[in-house]
Amino acid sequence: MKILVTGATGYVGHQLALTLAERGNEVHVLVRNPASLNVPGHKNILVFAGDITDPSSITAAIRGCEQVYHTAALVKVFAKDPHIFYKVNVEGTHNVLAKALESGVKKFVYTSSCGVMGASLNEPRCENDPRITAFDNDYEFTKFLAENLVREYVHRGLFTVIVSPSKVFGPGIETHPISVNKVIRNFIRGRLTFIPRPGRLLSNYCYINDVVEGHILAMARGIGGEKYILGGENISYVDLFKMIRSLSGTKALLMQAPKFMVQTLAVLQWIQYKITRKEPFASAKAVHHIFCNKTFSSGKAIRHLGYHLTPLTEGLQQTIHFLKTKNHV
Amino acid sequence: MYNKNYSLITGASEGFGKALALDCASRKMNLVLVALPGPELYYLADFIKRNYRVDVIAIEKDLSNEQNCIALFEEVSAMHLRINMLINNAGIGSTMLFSEGSIQMYQKQIKLNIMATTLVTRLFVDTLKKNSPAHILNVGSLSCFFFLAKKQVYGGTKSYIYFFSKSLRRELRPAGIQVSVVCPGGMNTNTSVIMVNRSGNWLARMSVMNPEDVAPIALDGLLKGKEVIIPGKVNKFFLLLNSLIPSFLKEMITNRQMNALSSVPVGNKFLLAEAAKPFSIKFANQL
Repeated sequence: MKILVTGATGYVGHQLALTLAERGNEVHVLVRNPASLNVPGHKNILVFAGDITDPSSITAAIRGCEQVYHTAALVKVFAKDPHIFYKVNVEGTHNVLAKALESGVKKFVYTSSCGVMGASLNEPRCENDPRITAFDNDYEFTKFLAENLVREYVHRGLFTVIVSPSKVFGPGIETHPISVNKVIRNFIRGRLTFIPRPGRLLSNYCYINDVVEGHILAMARGIGGEKYILGGENISYVDLFKMIRSLSGTKALLMQAPKFMVQTLAVLQWIQYKITRKEPFASAKAVHHIFCNKTFSSGKAIRHLGYHLTPLTEGLQQTIHFLKTKNHV
Repeated sequence: MYNKNYSLITGASEGFGKALALDCASRKMNLVLVALPGPELYYLADFIKRNYRVDVIAIEKDLSNEQNCIALFEEVSAMHLRINMLINNAGIGSTMLFSEGSIQMYQKQIKLNIMATTLVTRLFVDTLKKNSPAHILNVGSLSCFFFLAKKQVYGGTKSYIYFFSKSLRRELRPAGIQVSVVCPGGMNTNTSVIMVNRSGNWLARMSVMNPEDVAPIALDGLLKGKEVIIPGKVNKFFLLLNSLIPSFLKEMITNRQMNALSSVPVGNKFLLAEAAKPFSIKFANQL
């Protein structure tokens, strides 16, 4: 089957394209720079140069495709020109949706993010739970707007499904400035690692293979217009790093950073940005979102899609092995 | 269940109403949530029930229709709940030149902001007296204090709320009902407002708060018996300035700030659907 994957130079898109190709599909990937080292290489993968912000460049890549996985997005905390978030994440998604409808694509899976749902209270979040805090960064806000567009296209006659991975980790390419993989790598390399205080705050971590499989399951069994959380286990920062420590044997120091410290850092980064134009990786406004529980339930995906959760210890073991062999720790 | 008391919140499914509902629930209050028909209301009710050990009753009603206000009262009365708090939050905001708004839009805004607040309060006042000590929280706006271009009708309706609350407070105090009015500045309540708030320039943007931060201030103020609740240091500072600087200067500043804002009616899903389309194009140009 012919399948288009956007965002194939991204972490999830890359693994997804490779998996689909490995299973005998003819995978079209739309990439801005075909020479990029992050373009997945496989005999079943056909590379098209293009950009989701340029509708005409999508035409050739989508021709003859029955399915589209739209994983492309601008994933950042901050951009000098915030308009670019809107251009890529909302308008870009709109372009791919419009082309998909026009060219007769049968099914469309959109990769969103648990960030759209935000912080949780006492219980793990489900798909329909309302947000409890206002949007305070452009990434989450534009992904939310894009989700609305994707749902709207169901009414226009396109079969769309939304999947929302939580914090993804596991073997794959490095594309994100602060990824779970990077934090784990620094920790097992013995670097001092900071976690938010209190360290009992909970987060959700999903294994890359599960997320890739979740995408494929959502395409096969998902209900049109529905959203599925593709998560993993909910675990506190302290317990997560305890687990990584026992699996890797690292002696790295773990420190709990209080909120004011991160806020100060964010302000310093902002000043640095104003002087040197170096983009900050944390914004002062977004800091309080680090200091809250972010737990999710994958129950709906498990029940409706047959989504499978790799036990966290197993996923971490694979990841640590991958990071050690790949980077020669 | 910790207590038998219920708080009734109108316009509870999104924005400030949702934040108020969550904050009330965190204070162990049982809730009657009223909002426009739609699944969001039930998602919220279900979410609150799962996360806090309180009872939540969801009622779908468009309160801009007077009959629905009466129907709401009858429905709630039939449930024999001990309601001791009423939060009149339902309202339609707008930021637009007078000639840009339609007659239907202004009618709906006045009906919901003024009529529904008055009617619902009148209908429930005896229940509240019976269940005293009781509280009424009305949602005014910082625009009660400033005469702003693009906020003519909205500001007018909120001035009514302000006047109504302060007068009613004097009348109902002997009956054991505490009336407060909260006057927030701009809040990031829903999609279109977030966009409008982004379109403003620095002075307007500085005063914008998140509903989840305003709600606890409003509830604290109400429970402490404050007459007028102004959330946020920047907003308080604006009010102080307002009393200090000469009016011609004030007009210059407010006009500059308001002209920077893009026009859009907000707070009502039905109206939003029409407004959202041209706006998304505008948004792209303005960011």
